[in-house]
Amino acid sequence: MVPFKLILELILSTLLSLGRMFTAYVLSLIIAVVTGVAMAKNKYIESILLPILDILQSIPILGFFPAVLAIFITILGPVTGGEISSIFLIVTSQVWNMIFGVYSSIKSLDPSIDQLISVYKLPLIYRLLYIYIPASRSSLAANSIISWAGGWFFLTSAEVISMGRIEYRLKGLGSFIISAFENRDTVAYTIGLLTLFTIILVSYLIIWNPFTMRYTGVKTLLGFMRIYGVIEKAFARIWSLIIEKLIMAYSVIRGKIIVIQLYFLIPLILLYLYHTKLTLMTNNLYSEITKYGVEFLWALPLTLIRVYSTVIVGLVLSILLAYISHTRFKLGVLIVMLGEILSSIPAMMWWPILLPILRGFPYGVMMFVYLQGSLWYTFFNILLFGVSSLKENILELSKIYGIRGRYYLLRVFIPSLLPSILAGGLSASGGAWNASIAAEYFQVGGFIVDMGGVGSLLYKQTLAGDILGVLLTSFLMSLVIIFINKTVWARVLKKISGYYVIE
Amino acid sequence: MVTMLLSRGDIIEIVGVSKSYVSEGREIKVLEDISFSVGKEFVSIIGPSGCGKSTLLRIIAGVEKPDSGKVIFHLSRKPTIGFVFQFPTLLPWMTVLDNVILPLIASGVQKSRAIEKARTTLKIVGLSEFEDFYPSELSGGMKQRVNIARALAVEPDILLMDEPFSNLDPLTAESLRGEVLDIWLSSILPIKSIIMVTHNVEEAVLMSDRVIILSPRPARVLKIVDIMVPRPRTRKMPEVQELVDKVYEYVS
Ligand SMILES: Nc1ncnc2c1ncn2[C@@H]1O[C@H](COP(=O)(O)OP(=O)(O)OP(=O)(O)O)[C@@H](O)[C@H]1O
Ligand SMILES: [Mg+2]
Repeated sequence: MVPFKLILELILSTLLSLGRMFTAYVLSLIIAVVTGVAMAKNKYIESILLPILDILQSIPILGFFPAVLAIFITILGPVTGGEISSIFLIVTSQVWNMIFGVYSSIKSLDPSIDQLISVYKLPLIYRLLYIYIPASRSSLAANSIISWAGGWFFLTSAEVISMGRIEYRLKGLGSFIISAFENRDTVAYTIGLLTLFTIILVSYLIIWNPFTMRYTGVKTLLGFMRIYGVIEKAFARIWSLIIEKLIMAYSVIRGKIIVIQLYFLIPLILLYLYHTKLTLMTNNLYSEITKYGVEFLWALPLTLIRVYSTVIVGLVLSILLAYISHTRFKLGVLIVMLGEILSSIPAMMWWPILLPILRGFPYGVMMFVYLQGSLWYTFFNILLFGVSSLKENILELSKIYGIRGRYYLLRVFIPSLLPSILAGGLSASGGAWNASIAAEYFQVGGFIVDMGGVGSLLYKQTLAGDILGVLLTSFLMSLVIIFINKTVWARVLKKISGYYVIE
Repeated sequence: MVTMLLSRGDIIEIVGVSKSYVSEGREIKVLEDISFSVGKEFVSIIGPSGCGKSTLLRIIAGVEKPDSGKVIFHLSRKPTIGFVFQFPTLLPWMTVLDNVILPLIASGVQKSRAIEKARTTLKIVGLSEFEDFYPSELSGGMKQRVNIARALAVEPDILLMDEPFSNLDPLTAESLRGEVLDIWLSSILPIKSIIMVTHNVEEAVLMSDRVIILSPRPARVLKIVDIMVPRPRTRKMPEVQELVDKVYEYVS
């Protein structure tokens, strides 16, 4: 018999977690639309934000988390501050690819639509509601699948927040499961996990999968179209109400929409600095920086090798799975559904499974965590959008001329997937950098594994509450990532796209 | 001659319009001192590819600013402009009806009123039964009809058309030409002037009252040919053939 109190606790926790996920998703959606449109339509905003987003997507947000947390909690107190920082963390785990999605779909909008806009002088609000948002719908659907998984993956980290020695727990499904695990409460742990799986599964089956299938032409998904239809209708009603109100408001104001976001962090940081009267020891600063720099350079090669081998493994794996799901449709549907669930399982849920392996083979566990943070970008990009964008006429051509096997794979299949391979690969390297912090140093059930590397360095600095160290190390890491993206990665892309020009 | 002048009465006056673009640091002169006026009539503009016809049309529509010169409208109010784009330019996520009412709603027309107007013009182009269809469910010719219906729905004073028939198969193009001419001649809509850009000499001669021939880039007005052939016109009419030959001479 499961105690009634436990059930109540579980329901409450689930609702709270769902509320957090939903709030974070809606926030991400708004940020993605506003930023994406602003970038696509304004050259200055584009030239400033594009490189910044490139970095933000790659740096380990978890590394900044304690700093952000400290800011929010110092200013707003543990309850509100904790709640806001957990939503903030979830947003940072899902917003980047959504921004890029909106940006690229508006960028690729037919230029004659710009003419339509200017000939009939459509005001901004109409452009947003009738053109930019619907135009981004399919890429938002596509990216929502990845982002929603990313959100669940980070949920536990977002609900159990440790800041040096202090730990805050927000009531929620993530913290429920963690607590149950720590208290060795098998019943609570099991029903917690089951609830989590059910919610993840149901949210995919009735929302994301049908949504994606309807708007992107992806077919390899499992979903209940009927139920989704009802949900969409309800949503459409709310949406048209919002549109009506917005247009009414617009006819009253007729003003311009100002892009604020992102900047809201600056006053917060200033406030925080003032609050804690943070004074840097200016005389020691130079030697401090040198110390951090040397540590960083020492750790860098390890992480570099790990990050890029993860990306390569992820790419190879995704392409192979894509080939299998392309040749066997039913198997493909299964693979994708499995991927959706596996990618959503929060990081800490893996520990009970990994714990037994941990003693003998810590290296494998590290690579597993790396992959978990990186593989899904290539997986979804290639399996969903790459495979479904394979051109019918090219497939026919291959059939007619009997192009098969290795030749087909190398000359037809992979080149056709190239755009999604490239898009996925770039995000995956960001994801791998991001994962390094969780992969290289972990502390489970009393024993500590330290694999060295930049991620481990960052994590230890975080644990020690060394904010200066965290900031400096993250900064140096950003420099390395930008350097690699702008030189090596850009060159690889150019070379590959030179080989495979796709009409 | 006298009757022609009387019936014309200037509505649009294009005075010394010039325009250049700067691309990759080099200045490309596109339009050079273009002047002509348009009365209550159907005018075609013809000229070699890339000479600046679309640019000129955009300047008339007020979407683009000329470097010098101006476009004057002799109307009691700001003119309403209908624009038929070279490609249908329909928003794929909206039904036919929603596509047609978009410009109306954006200019502040009540939704019910906008729907009423849209239905009228959809009927004119023969698409009444397709108002709930999405663009992807229409044929190329039907899409172009929606493009035309959208331009007509705003009840334009001036109708501007950028190669409206050039991306259609010959049969569809022919029947759409007939429909546009019918709308124009029957004056069921308050259109005062039509300016049509085209590559097709025959089309220009068959449809319009005057043909304005532009030179290669930078475009200047090379010649204006009056087409004073009574309607209905057919290709076989000797005076039509004569005029076609005459226009060809200037174009090539
Ligand atoms: N926004 C722009 N920026 C730079 N150059 C432009 C721009 N728009 C047009 N041009 C240039 O101006 C010239 C005229 O273009 P336009 O589209 O008006 O030609 P057109 O006569 O309509 O050609 P076509 O018959 O092929 O439609 C072209 O050489 C084009 O490259
Ligand atoms: Mg043109």
